[in-house]
Amino acid sequence: MSRAIQIRVSESVVRTIHVEDGVQSPLEMLPVLGAERMAELLATELEKRGFTRDGNLARRTDPDGIEVTVDLAASTVSVKIGAGAKLSEEVQRVGREGQEEELREAAIGELERRLEAQTEALRREVTARLERKLADLRNELDGAIGRATVAALTERAAQLGKIEEVLADDAGNVTIKVKL
Amino acid sequence: MNVVTVADSEYDLVAMARALVAPHSDPPTALLRQQRKLPTQIGPDCARLLEDALQKIWPALWRRDRARLGAPPFARRRGWERHPPAPLQHTRATVDLLRWLVAVPLVSADVATLPATRLALGDQVAIYLALEIAGPVRNVIAQQPFVRAAPLAWLGFAHLMEGEPPAFDDLVTGSGAVVIEALASEIAERWRAVDVSKRAMKRPSELIALGAAQDKTLRAFMTACEKRRELATFVIDAAAPLLERGIAPMPTQLDPAAALSVRSAAREAAGALLRAVIRWREWDDQHRAVRFIDDDFDRAQGLLARFERIGRVGADRAAAWLAELASLAPTTASPSDSIEPL
Repeated sequence: MSRAIQIRVSESVVRTIHVEDGVQSPLEMLPVLGAERMAELLATELEKRGFTRDGNLARRTDPDGIEVTVDLAASTVSVKIGAGAKLSEEVQRVGREGQEEELREAAIGELERRLEAQTEALRREVTARLERKLADLRNELDGAIGRATVAALTERAAQLGKIEEVLADDAGNVTIKVKL
Repeated sequence: MNVVTVADSEYDLVAMARALVAPHSDPPTALLRQQRKLPTQIGPDCARLLEDALQKIWPALWRRDRARLGAPPFARRRGWERHPPAPLQHTRATVDLLRWLVAVPLVSADVATLPATRLALGDQVAIYLALEIAGPVRNVIAQQPFVRAAPLAWLGFAHLMEGEPPAFDDLVTGSGAVVIEALASEIAERWRAVDVSKRAMKRPSELIALGAAQDKTLRAFMTACEKRRELATFVIDAAAPLLERGIAPMPTQLDPAAALSVRSAAREAAGALLRAVIRWREWDDQHRAVRFIDDDFDRAQGLLARFERIGRVGADRAAAWLAELASLAPTTASPSDSIEPL
């Protein structure tokens, strides 16, 4: 009488993963002054909001890891976030003698599936964090662009004559009185 | 009465040709589903009947446009009054298409490929009509290399295409331009319907592929018809009602689990028709600059009149929608199922 031999196959993996998500969007600015001057005014506004100027780029990394980069020459903003994790998984499969190769393949397949699922979960988490931030960031950038535009209008008005009065209301409307 | 006898398989070929020309009186549904073995050659009677059916394509095209009078810059006359009909050139490719449509069961999982070949204008029209009548198997036909070699198929059904479109030069001169004039209103309707459908699309990858095909088609066609810009007025007719009623191609139902970068690319891709409207605005600026003493004055005035349907207000709205589609955090539009038929 033959005896059935049970085989136990164990596979494990440790993998470091990095996931990233991000968007890029154009910035709409009225061409009140030349493109270079408009970029300068916007850069000044961005610096007040914690951005660091590096040539044509203004960058900021927020405490939550979100990187915001404004390309002043191309008038675009890129927002991205990345995250890393060290994943470790172990899978065991039990079968009969002669099935070793089959069991090993099944274990490796299962490991890959688990790692893929964990990577996807991390990617979704990263995406959700980024998504929560975008509406506030849009408002912040709209505010910076608005202030830069007002500064540009004031400069333009000064070129036309003597500014007598600048009135701003709560709705963001600005009236500049100029004596020509 | 002269009765002509043909083999069963030949009868199906003739029936398919008639269905292309008059789908309402000869519906092709059963023919597209069946599998039939065809002999390598057709008899002279069958050839004559096929020729007879295909000769009716011109009246069929004009009938599809309900024999509409020309709008500016075309003369206010019917299509056949503006352009005396010249016979459409068909090659063996038309017969190959008919044979494939009749022989291959297009509802099956494994459909024999119809390889690409050189196409005459008549062949292209036959392909366009086949796509039009195909209903649920339209995608299967559109995937064939033979069909993707037809610029008219791209112009009419860009949303089903993938890869690079062929050159559109044949469609902007001679009989090709007349075909485009005759089909312009239905091409516009189809582009409009596809734009509305973008609002309900869920899979970003599908929208990215659709937008890429539309962008390539519109860019290539509008470049090809620089000297016959009136042929691109279907863009105006497609977009005008949407702009007027505030129906932006804003995909509000994209899979929220997809990466933001992918969703963002999908939203941007959705603006293909709007980008063509912006190109029309650039053309409009050029038409405004044409002076009374210039040769092209009358044509420019006609094109100005056509673009008035969208006008500055509509073009500004298109630009605002494009900005919204590309923005960091788009505002949500109302769901597409609230839209009544246009």
